[in-house]
Amino acid sequence: MNKISLTINGKKIEAVPGQTVLEVARENGIDIPTLCYYPGTKLVGACRVCVVEIEGQRCLAASCAMPVSPGMVVRTDTPRVVEAQKMVVELLWASGDHNCLVCEANGNCELQDLVYRFKIEKPRFPIEPPGYPVERSNTMIQRDLNKCILCGRCIRVCNEIQVNEVLDFSERGSRMKVGPAFDADYIDSNCVFCGACVDACPTGAIVNRQSRFEGRPWELKKVRTTCGYCGVGCQMDLNLHEGRIVKVTGSRDHGTPNYGSLCVKGRFGMDFIHHPSRLKKPLIREGGELREASWDEAYSYIADRMSAIKAKHGPDSLAGLSSARCTNEENYLFQKFIRAAVGTNNVDHCARL
Amino acid sequence: MKIFRSHLLVCGGTGCHASGSLAVKDALIEEINRKGLQEEIKVVETGCNGFCAMGPIIVVYPEGIVYMQVMKDDIPQLVEEHLIKGRPLERLFYREPSTEERIPSMQDIPFFAHQELRVLRNRGMIDPENIDEYIARDGYAGLAKALTEMTPEQIVKEVLDSGLRGRGGAGFPTGLKWQFCARSPGDVKYVLCNADEGDPGAFMDRSVLEADPHSVLEGMVIAAKAIGSKQGYIYCRAEYPLAIHRLNIAIGQAREYGLLGKNILDTGMDFDLEIYQGAGAFVCGEETALMTSIEGKRGMPRPRPPFPAIAGLWQKPSVLNNVETLANIGQIILRGGPWYAGVGTGRSKGTKVFALTGDVNNVGLVEVPMGTTLGTIVYDIGGGIPKGKRFKAAQLGGPSGGMIPVQHLNAPIDYEKVAELGAIMGSGGMIVLNEDKCAVDMARFFMDFCQDESCGKCTPCREGTKRMLQILTDICEGRGKEGDIALLEEMAAIIKDSALCGLGQTAPNPVLSTLRYFRKEYESHIRDRRCPAAVCTALFKSPCQHTCPIGMDIPGYIALVRAERFQDAYKVLLKTNPFPSVCGRVCDHKCQSKCRRGMLDEPVAIKFLKRFITDNAPRPRIEPVPVTRKERIGVVGAGPAGLTAARDLAMRGYKVAVFEELPNPGGMLAWGIPSYRLPREILNREIDDIRALGVEIRCNTRVGRDISFEQLDSDFDYVFLAPGAHKSQRLGAEGENLKGVYGGVEFLRDFNTNESAWMKGEKSIGKKVAVVGGGNSAIDAARTALRLGADVTILYRRERQDMPAAEEEIVAAEHEGVKIEYLVAPKSVIGKDGKAVGISCRRMKLGEFDASGRRRPVPVEGSDFTLSVDAVIAAIGQAPDLSFVPKESGVTVNKWSCFDLKGLGKSMTTSEKYFAGGDAVTGPDTVIRAIAAGHQAAEDIDAAIRTKNGEPAWVPPKSEEIQIPFVVDEETEERPQAAMPELGVEKRARGFAEVELGYSSEEAIREACRCLRCDAEI
Repeated sequence: MNKISLTINGKKIEAVPGQTVLEVARENGIDIPTLCYYPGTKLVGACRVCVVEIEGQRCLAASCAMPVSPGMVVRTDTPRVVEAQKMVVELLWASGDHNCLVCEANGNCELQDLVYRFKIEKPRFPIEPPGYPVERSNTMIQRDLNKCILCGRCIRVCNEIQVNEVLDFSERGSRMKVGPAFDADYIDSNCVFCGACVDACPTGAIVNRQSRFEGRPWELKKVRTTCGYCGVGCQMDLNLHEGRIVKVTGSRDHGTPNYGSLCVKGRFGMDFIHHPSRLKKPLIREGGELREASWDEAYSYIADRMSAIKAKHGPDSLAGLSSARCTNEENYLFQKFIRAAVGTNNVDHCARL
Repeated sequence: MKIFRSHLLVCGGTGCHASGSLAVKDALIEEINRKGLQEEIKVVETGCNGFCAMGPIIVVYPEGIVYMQVMKDDIPQLVEEHLIKGRPLERLFYREPSTEERIPSMQDIPFFAHQELRVLRNRGMIDPENIDEYIARDGYAGLAKALTEMTPEQIVKEVLDSGLRGRGGAGFPTGLKWQFCARSPGDVKYVLCNADEGDPGAFMDRSVLEADPHSVLEGMVIAAKAIGSKQGYIYCRAEYPLAIHRLNIAIGQAREYGLLGKNILDTGMDFDLEIYQGAGAFVCGEETALMTSIEGKRGMPRPRPPFPAIAGLWQKPSVLNNVETLANIGQIILRGGPWYAGVGTGRSKGTKVFALTGDVNNVGLVEVPMGTTLGTIVYDIGGGIPKGKRFKAAQLGGPSGGMIPVQHLNAPIDYEKVAELGAIMGSGGMIVLNEDKCAVDMARFFMDFCQDESCGKCTPCREGTKRMLQILTDICEGRGKEGDIALLEEMAAIIKDSALCGLGQTAPNPVLSTLRYFRKEYESHIRDRRCPAAVCTALFKSPCQHTCPIGMDIPGYIALVRAERFQDAYKVLLKTNPFPSVCGRVCDHKCQSKCRRGMLDEPVAIKFLKRFITDNAPRPRIEPVPVTRKERIGVVGAGPAGLTAARDLAMRGYKVAVFEELPNPGGMLAWGIPSYRLPREILNREIDDIRALGVEIRCNTRVGRDISFEQLDSDFDYVFLAPGAHKSQRLGAEGENLKGVYGGVEFLRDFNTNESAWMKGEKSIGKKVAVVGGGNSAIDAARTALRLGADVTILYRRERQDMPAAEEEIVAAEHEGVKIEYLVAPKSVIGKDGKAVGISCRRMKLGEFDASGRRRPVPVEGSDFTLSVDAVIAAIGQAPDLSFVPKESGVTVNKWSCFDLKGLGKSMTTSEKYFAGGDAVTGPDTVIRAIAAGHQAAEDIDAAIRTKNGEPAWVPPKSEEIQIPFVVDEETEERPQAAMPELGVEKRARGFAEVELGYSSEEAIREACRCLRCDAEI
């Protein structure tokens, strides 16, 4: 493809037609702040924090939505640009209850980062959160619209990536808000709790409720793993705080197969891990009572019993059922074991049920 | 075709429907049937006629007689007189407000006479629901030409040649837009019509759709051919049901006639249309939001590029034009682009339709050539401002636009000029504002509209407009602070620069525009907590009190009159005003101009009630105030300013001496105002009260003559300079040094000094006197000369409504027999033997508007004439004589011969010891302003002394608390001001008895009951 050349901040740059000014700038190490920009979704140019000056244009342009054109002369660092960006951040700060003291997103908040970046001590406008009640209708997602900056990222992931079509804007102007139809709570809506909105939210407006007060972002250690719930093999990060898994997050950086998307089970179905009733040692029933046993004892017991049954009733009297929580490799080994060691084709998997 | 003797066209626009035209039409048909005239007379319901304020309107053809404000009950008489007896019914003719003349035919009514109808050429002429009537007036001929004779390129070229620019507001060349779209690849393209008119006060598009829907359809089919489209949409707001109804009928008829649908006019071209009803979002007038809305989504704008010509509706190339733009197309194709470009200015061609509303006599729809001046639209077509109020500004372009203030009445209205003045053409809403509108409040109103209509998508618009509104609201409600204006300006610039769509980018315009022209009003709200137009109610108790320069408690004393507590009322007067009986006679009563009662019928007679109190209540006793302070204060000039300051300072314990050049104190009150308006004993009574406090008044003592300035400087610690403006301005005409030529105030002073000599005939003004000028002193001089037996003619160079003199003074002069010649200016005084014998004059006509909004008189060549007179009195203004102030004093005098005040200080001159006020600072002004200046000077001098001594600020002694009763009528019936009883004209002729006699108690109490008590907090 023919490359085109343009100038950003006085630097000659080559770009591919169809790229946006933002993409080209970032590729070339020129940082432009963004809030509403969310790759993989429609370009909306809504928050206006990514505005840049383009020679010959009357107004500033949103770099995220502005395609490059040959000979374009862009500046991202003029006072005109910076003042506008600062004003946007200042307005957003004052529009909500951005109280970092108790915010789950403290330290992991794009608005907070921009306030710091632009060195804003305090907004010049009175801070006036709209005063919506915090939604705690379910155990998974907590929604505080007083911290919402109306970037629309949650709406776009919900509609365009997850295609759940639950979220959209309602009302107009400064009364505009995000939510399911008819102002319903998540629990009463068609929401399937995939939690994509949680990952997309740049502030603390939509947060994982399970991990509320369970560790600050900088205290969490992320461990990448594969989701155990089904055979898709979704990549995800377990977030550990002092050795405990406090939440699961998706990461678009992990790429295939899920590009950061998760389902309700993968994201929220992890309370069993630290559950007090979770089985941690094998139990053997004796006289109607369960008693703890060692793994060796348990394995020997199983092997003995299976061998005995097989000997008495033949291999087809046994069957194996494996789990989607196991990896492919484990499932392969399992069927190999049932077929080769036990000698029966009675083997199946929970995902087929 | 059936032939009728008469056609009666009844206006059926939404405006006339609202004023009852449907009932009128039904009554008309019924009456015609009753009289058996149905075979002779046809009644047609047309679209909007344009003169909406005068509806319902009926036009009778072939006579072309127009009837206005026709009511159902007028119909029997109308049918009987006009249709049966052939006698037009004069009482329903249009009545010209200024001349009261009744005008029968449309083209003679100024409202219509200055218009040029192109877009609106069929308005009120055809039945919009009948396609044949449209065709009969060349309708669809342009379409036929475009489809059968022209290529798409030729159509585009014709539109380019016409110079037509988008009438929706942005003014993008229509031909260019079509060219882009025509060249854009793709086989599916759309033609869209924007009928989502939403600016407050704008109704051009509605009117076109209601009166002439086919013109829009014709334009769309031609556009379709030009760009290669098969489908179009009209996005019309659902609030226009009549427009939608008529559009649907028109679309149906056009399909039936083969002008829409498949194979139009057998040319093989297919194009059809659908109406999409907008749900009432202002933002859907923005093109990308409109398209998103047609797509069935939430109407929010999207970023451009891609532009609609490339990817518009459903991502297909689309052309979106406004109703008015499209309505022009048929005629442009039929008559050619050059014909269209034949009117207009450089880059703004053709005509523009404006919805003229607000404070203007003729509310309605007007179409004028581009480049018509604002003054022509407001005054010639609009008939000027109702109730004699002054024009303040015209708001153009609604919430995205700006104001064009009075100094630009001569501006030709076209895209370039309007942009240069900081407004936008917009879709054509033109809201006229009079002097009673507050600029900050207007900006607040439009910002409220924008923040309410913001879709919420982008931050600058959603949050920024909300914050700007907050700041504006704070300013309007008295919470404004320093820095607010700077913050508003910063935000306005950033929002304009960074918002996503046109709504946000233009939302700050009204603020920027009002800041550009009315910055002082903002400052006044913020710094002084004053709303000069008396609109922002949070800033005051009542508009009258707020408007009074000394803040008199007007509702208070009026309530006390109503309660018959006259003595208490007098005490209330004296709290702020040392000259209430003077002001009750000669005040220019600015308070009354803002009286809310005036909106209902007439303002309360505040001035007369004040006089009533001073005439009837016992006068409170004045006790001398002991001198408690060591500083000595000198006052130069014993006029209202000097005496007020002296009184206030004496009451604060200072020793005050007032120096007066003339033999008696009072200044202009004694020497300028004739005693038939202000009897001397009334004035002296109030001056005596000031003396009684301990103020010393040294008359016949001119500073610089009888006492040196140096002496003054050494005798006093602080000096208040209030010498007034007692020197008449010179005519600047040949012969003005002749004997018999007087200055206005010099004549009045001479008369007042030597009254008995004049009255005995020892001094004479002569038999015929010409007075030049139009202010109060011209009228005073004229009425005084008249009383001396002269035949008096006032020569004034403008028209009566421009005279600065009080209306009641002009009326009184006319009653007494003073002749007034308007539009006449003196050229020279003709002399014989060193004495004036005549005055050579020249007739004037009114030309362009000056900065004050009055038309400038220009001489009419060859209109010179001579009046033979014995005396000429030149009363064209006065200036102070400040020659007594030596340069070394440090007190500087400016180019208007007035004292310079120091920076922001309100009365300190350029020397810290000298303060100044009254006419010597402002030039000739009113009594009440002089009193205000006196109060201010006393305050400032006292504050200067105390600051210097390190003393705390003065606290006024506790005065008697007067409870103001609150009684209002349950219902208010319309009733004009009580008339002031006057001395009969025959008794006035040769004497100086007071003309106005004062209210009786009954009259006063009844008048006091008219007060609406705006001061009450309920």
